[in-house]
Amino acid sequence: MTNIELQRLRMNHLVTQARYDLYTLSGLTDQSPQKQPILQRLWDTLSEIHFISEVLANQANAQPASHLTQMQPAMLAANGMTLNQLPNSTPSNDRTFTLEELANYDGKNGRAAYVAVNGTVYDVTNNRTWAAATHFGLTAGKEYTEEFASCHAGQQAILATLPVVGRLL
Amino acid sequence: MSGYILPPEPMTNEAVAERLTNAAVSRIQNGLIKKQNLIYLELNGCSGNIISLLNGQNPDFEYMVNSMVNLRYSNSLMASEGEQAMEKLLAASQDEYILAVEGAVALRDNGLYNVIGTLNGKPLTGLEAVTMLGQKASRILAVGACATHGGVSAAKPNPSESVGLQRVLPEKEIIKLPGCPVNPDWFLGTLAHLLLYGVPETDNLGRPLMFYSTLIHDRCPRRPFFDKGIFAEKLGDKTCLFKLGCRGPVTRIDCPTRQWNGHVNWPIGANTPCIGCTQFGFPDAMAPFITYDTTRVVKDE
Repeated sequence: MTNIELQRLRMNHLVTQARYDLYTLSGLTDQSPQKQPILQRLWDTLSEIHFISEVLANQANAQPASHLTQMQPAMLAANGMTLNQLPNSTPSNDRTFTLEELANYDGKNGRAAYVAVNGTVYDVTNNRTWAAATHFGLTAGKEYTEEFASCHAGQQAILATLPVVGRLL
Repeated sequence: MSGYILPPEPMTNEAVAERLTNAAVSRIQNGLIKKQNLIYLELNGCSGNIISLLNGQNPDFEYMVNSMVNLRYSNSLMASEGEQAMEKLLAASQDEYILAVEGAVALRDNGLYNVIGTLNGKPLTGLEAVTMLGQKASRILAVGACATHGGVSAAKPNPSESVGLQRVLPEKEIIKLPGCPVNPDWFLGTLAHLLLYGVPETDNLGRPLMFYSTLIHDRCPRRPFFDKGIFAEKLGDKTCLFKLGCRGPVTRIDCPTRQWNGHVNWPIGANTPCIGCTQFGFPDAMAPFITYDTTRVVKDE
């Protein structure tokens, strides 16, 4: 927890620094030689903010599992919870689907759009080639191993970029 | 025309077309290139491409018939009709010619579902005409969705058993200009390139790269809305039309910059999704064109 707090402080410091630099820049003329180092520092600041936000995001993802294990049993008892009532802490991409379950994720009426290839279920809800949850005549919520092989043979990179949501049983 | 033309030379459509015109005219006058014959066949389709062609600018249609080619046959535009028109077609096929074809080739019942005229008292089918003319043509252009891959004519259930030109002429090199309809610039520009510099560079599907190289999505003025997950929920909304079924992300063509009707506007500019009409497999593979029970709208993270 202290680690996260430190990173938050560092992030705040960087944001302050960036605001200060932007303010300075706004007062400089176009030809000013001071501009270059300030722009360079802004660049560095931004890179570091990006890095820290990535670290924080990683921790946030790992949070549910680790956070709960660290909870004291006494705290749980105080909240009137038992271990059985804890929210499911398995990462979401370990979910399993039957073909019938998969068919529910057809992308209609606010539902997500999932498709399965080679036993893995992928999320194509916001994939740009799946506008309106359809792709060259295919609709979401189905298993498309053969179709993928016939059109995208040797293009495993396509699958690698898709978010995995689970496995097909 | 040695080397590239760069600013400060004007780079507007008009200036580019004027340079093209002057280059062609001077080459014709100097005998460097000679005016070629063009036969324009209309097969199983809706005549949409020839109508689109009449709307051409830079170069325009008048320029094409006067300077670039001798238009020897076009059933929509020629004065002759009936047997007279067929005789002109036969006469034209005796000389060297470029063949442009719009519309699909209907195969059912030996092509009888598409008859383009009567020759010696017998019906001349599109299948016969294109097989005969295709073998002799110096160059072949497939114009529009139907000629390139079957298009609307070959859409399910395809009662006329229509196919694209390549299926009937498997051995021939065919420059393919998909689109429903073809933009006049794509056709006239390709024809001009053919006359001036030879066959334009094409991709592995036979489409000229100068028009068909880039995804609509990559040049879409509404791309920032897509990247931020701001989606239109109905026609007329000014944001990204992805959730309504926009096919811009899978369609390679220059509509965002070229635009239509004299470079005035284009579907997404008029708040309606791209239906992917220049994509192979249109329209079946691009359906549905519009859908309202959209996937979930992702709020900004």
